[in-house]
Amino acid sequence: MITFLIRTCLFKLITLVIISIVSFLIIHLAPGEPSQIDPLNPRFQKEDLERYRKTFNLDKPLHIQYFLFYKKFFSGKLRSFKDNQSVFPKIWERFMNSLPLFIVGTILTWGLAFPLGVSSSLKQDSLVDKSTTFCSYLLISMPSFFLAYLLIIGTVHFLETPVLGMQTFGQENSSFFFKLNDRIWHLVLPSLLGATAGIAVLSRYVRAQMLEVMNQDFTQTAHSKGLSQERVYYIHVLRNAALPFVTMFGLILPSLIGGSVIIESIFAWPGMGRMAFEAILTRDYPIILSLNFISAVLVVIGTFISDILLVTVDPRIRL
Amino acid sequence: MILKRILLIVPLAIVLLLLQSYFWVPKFDEQFMGSSKRLTQFIQGSIGDAQILNPILHSDSSSGAITDKIFDGLIDRDRDLSYRGRLAKSWKIIEEAFFVPNTKDRSAEDVARKLQNAKNNSSIPWLDNISKIEVVPPKISKTSNESSRGKTWTKVHYPKRIKLTLRAVDQDLFDKIKTTFSQKLIEDDFSSFSTKENKKKIKLTEHNPIIIFELRGDVKFHDGHEFDAKDVLFTYQSIMNDKNLSPRKSDFEPIKSMEILEENKIKIIYKRLYSPAFGTWAIGILPEHLLNEKTLKREAKERKLDRKNFTLRLSNFNRNPIGTGPFKFKEWRSDELIKLKKNEQYWDGPPNYSEFIYRIIPDSLTQEMAFYTGTIDSYGAGVHQVNRLKKDRRFQVFSGLSFGYTYIGYNMRRKPFNDVRVRRALGMAINTEQIHRYILNNQAENITGPFIKQGPHYNKVIKPIAFDPKKAIKLLNEAGWEKRNGILVKNGKRLRFKLLTNHGNEIRKSIATVVQDSWKRIGIVVSFDTVEWAVFIKKHINELNFDAVILGWSLGLDPDLYQIWHSSQTNKGQLNFVGYKNRTADQLIVKIRQEYDLKKQILYAHKLHRIIATDQPYTFLYNSKWTALLDRKIAILQKPENGTHIAKKITATKTGSYSFDFNKWIKFPTAPIFESKF
Repeated sequence: MITFLIRTCLFKLITLVIISIVSFLIIHLAPGEPSQIDPLNPRFQKEDLERYRKTFNLDKPLHIQYFLFYKKFFSGKLRSFKDNQSVFPKIWERFMNSLPLFIVGTILTWGLAFPLGVSSSLKQDSLVDKSTTFCSYLLISMPSFFLAYLLIIGTVHFLETPVLGMQTFGQENSSFFFKLNDRIWHLVLPSLLGATAGIAVLSRYVRAQMLEVMNQDFTQTAHSKGLSQERVYYIHVLRNAALPFVTMFGLILPSLIGGSVIIESIFAWPGMGRMAFEAILTRDYPIILSLNFISAVLVVIGTFISDILLVTVDPRIRL
Repeated sequence: MILKRILLIVPLAIVLLLLQSYFWVPKFDEQFMGSSKRLTQFIQGSIGDAQILNPILHSDSSSGAITDKIFDGLIDRDRDLSYRGRLAKSWKIIEEAFFVPNTKDRSAEDVARKLQNAKNNSSIPWLDNISKIEVVPPKISKTSNESSRGKTWTKVHYPKRIKLTLRAVDQDLFDKIKTTFSQKLIEDDFSSFSTKENKKKIKLTEHNPIIIFELRGDVKFHDGHEFDAKDVLFTYQSIMNDKNLSPRKSDFEPIKSMEILEENKIKIIYKRLYSPAFGTWAIGILPEHLLNEKTLKREAKERKLDRKNFTLRLSNFNRNPIGTGPFKFKEWRSDELIKLKKNEQYWDGPPNYSEFIYRIIPDSLTQEMAFYTGTIDSYGAGVHQVNRLKKDRRFQVFSGLSFGYTYIGYNMRRKPFNDVRVRRALGMAINTEQIHRYILNNQAENITGPFIKQGPHYNKVIKPIAFDPKKAIKLLNEAGWEKRNGILVKNGKRLRFKLLTNHGNEIRKSIATVVQDSWKRIGIVVSFDTVEWAVFIKKHINELNFDAVILGWSLGLDPDLYQIWHSSQTNKGQLNFVGYKNRTADQLIVKIRQEYDLKKQILYAHKLHRIIATDQPYTFLYNSKWTALLDRKIAILQKPENGTHIAKKITATKTGSYSFDFNKWIKFPTAPIFESKF
């Protein structure tokens, strides 16, 4: 076990170094420069452009830029090109904005996908099963931005409530209870939209897993032992069917930092996804690379957690 | 079965908890009717967040929109585009001119006396313009020059020079002296340093325009500190400080020195004639007492940051700015909103709105939804959006010409574009009318030259090139191109080239299709391609590797065209990438940037406009229009002394700025009847 841990850690560290190099190269070799350096601005002299490049260290060879960048990254001195703010507090602020969206979205995904998947597997080929299948494919194939527009226009026209942003404007003086509910309301649409694709896909998986396990010998045995239907399905089948999903838990972690570019942009939600997107547009290298590196770290940790989880849940697997 | 129940109850409970919040959220009407506060708030929708709220450091339009409300410049432009004083009460522009006198057979004092006599005995206007004639003692000047080979120092021992103080700037002064006096008074050349490089460095004549600003004495910063000449000097020094990386540096580079004459009087001496320099004083003035070296050091210490590398750029000031403008900064929530409140002590009278809110909604369709329901008052509406809401009685629509134009630029270094007849023919073959109507929804006008159409420098006499394919073919025939099998051929070579533009601009792409078709009709083989912006600039424009491109310029108000049209700017990476070279145009471009008299400047500009329109280095396609929407309930509220209030309709200025009177705007509970007193 301990050798396994040491070995994995070592491998993952090497992976991270390689990721850091590759992502650094991709960003810097891609055409374009930070938006502060604008060669088509008639007001800018050549010397001005050089001055910018020099301050951003862009005039140095790539390998030196790489070391300078990660030196600043690990000493926490990294600052955004765009507004000179420290990168980590900036990311943290956005992270805290995206977090409620992520939590509610995840709860909705997992909370709704399981009942849906289980029920349609239990009533295979029934009307319930067919309609959930239809809805799932509809949701999977419909672009989320389109659905978002439909929902926003619908809510604005029929419910006449604000839906954009994190809270209603000008409600700073109302009581805590109102404020709380106001914030929850603003969470509903974006988190629901964020969850739709997840619910659709995940419920399909649950259904397929359930059906697979249902056809296995031990289910037959349970049935023939005379156990009640519910006991067989909810204790024996569901537990075994849920095994692969345990590993998925670890993989949710990286999506924490990714946020959702489309949903956050449409709903004017000041979250991580939007920050990353805008950073890419203005070629704000410190932000892009930091987010990239942090999410790489999260992926590595996530896969590690899934490995461990799988071992603990499934006694058949040995390291 | 507990598990089954959990699986049913938990999701149900979560969904219910989420949905019940609906009943606590205020409806639009309630937000609006319930609090009259909303009527005193102006909420501007914006696609992007601001970056840095410092007038000398920002380079994005969102930051510009905010800093314009928080900071005042010394001057700005009034409704008719003339300069008007803001923090400056008045100003005076004079000149000090120096020349090295020819001392072969007389002394410097003799030359000065000769000039003085001529001045006393005649009434020639340019001599009258001279207010003082002096002899300056010899001096040593040291200048450094940095190049790839290192730093070189030049030390020049100047002999006695003549200094002329002029009442108004005169760029032709030395020529006039040379032509008026039969003897040679001005030394044109020293034989001892005849290399070209030296001549460039050592000026025998020198124009030093001087601006003297008289500042208002009654202005206070938002923190109560008084504004004075020190703040103006500090703003200039901060811009020039390399550490601050100000994108405005090149605007202020022509300044030689600045001098505080009195507490509220400042003198700015320029190195050379450069008339656009005056307009740069519209820049927001920073408070010296909050940003001087001592305060910055203290801030670095408090925030435990490296004191050596702590600059203006890192200061918290940029997120909590303090200026002298009509609005004070209140709050900034990144990517959500920026809130300003009115400055009750504003020297020009406080604005009517009590709050200005800049709300960031990064998607234009949801902006429209927000506008529709009254949660934002204004946004950058697209043409199609304006068309959708134009007939709605709840809104008012504004439209005007934007500053800039779209064009097809030809690489004049390459054949056949080096022939003016070919360029003219290409322009004639394009039906711009069609482009305006079908591609731009008629939201555009013709443009014939390089200046902004609203300004006085634009020559309105010049007619656009008429659509005439037959004449185009005739011109091409004259240039030696003959039609064979429907394709124009010269010396066995077909007339073929590639049209390029940047990827992602649908309008340019549609224009390219129309243009390609029009050219094909007269027998030209044109291929078309779009390239991603960064690659387009780096590989094609900067490398001068293109035949013809569709691009646009957005321009400022000043008529300086040096970077775009002067022949010295045709190298790789410079902005005259089409390679336009015309000696008369060059002279006029330089004259325009050196002329301080608006009337003369307009005269030169009209000439230059005609030359460029004749040479057709670009085919000028169109000048687009902007459109804006506003709630009809918003109007100008005037409060004359006698206590009555008058509502007036908001109108756009000559330049198309409808928000010129923003400080007098207010939102009424219902759409007001204009000019009524209440």
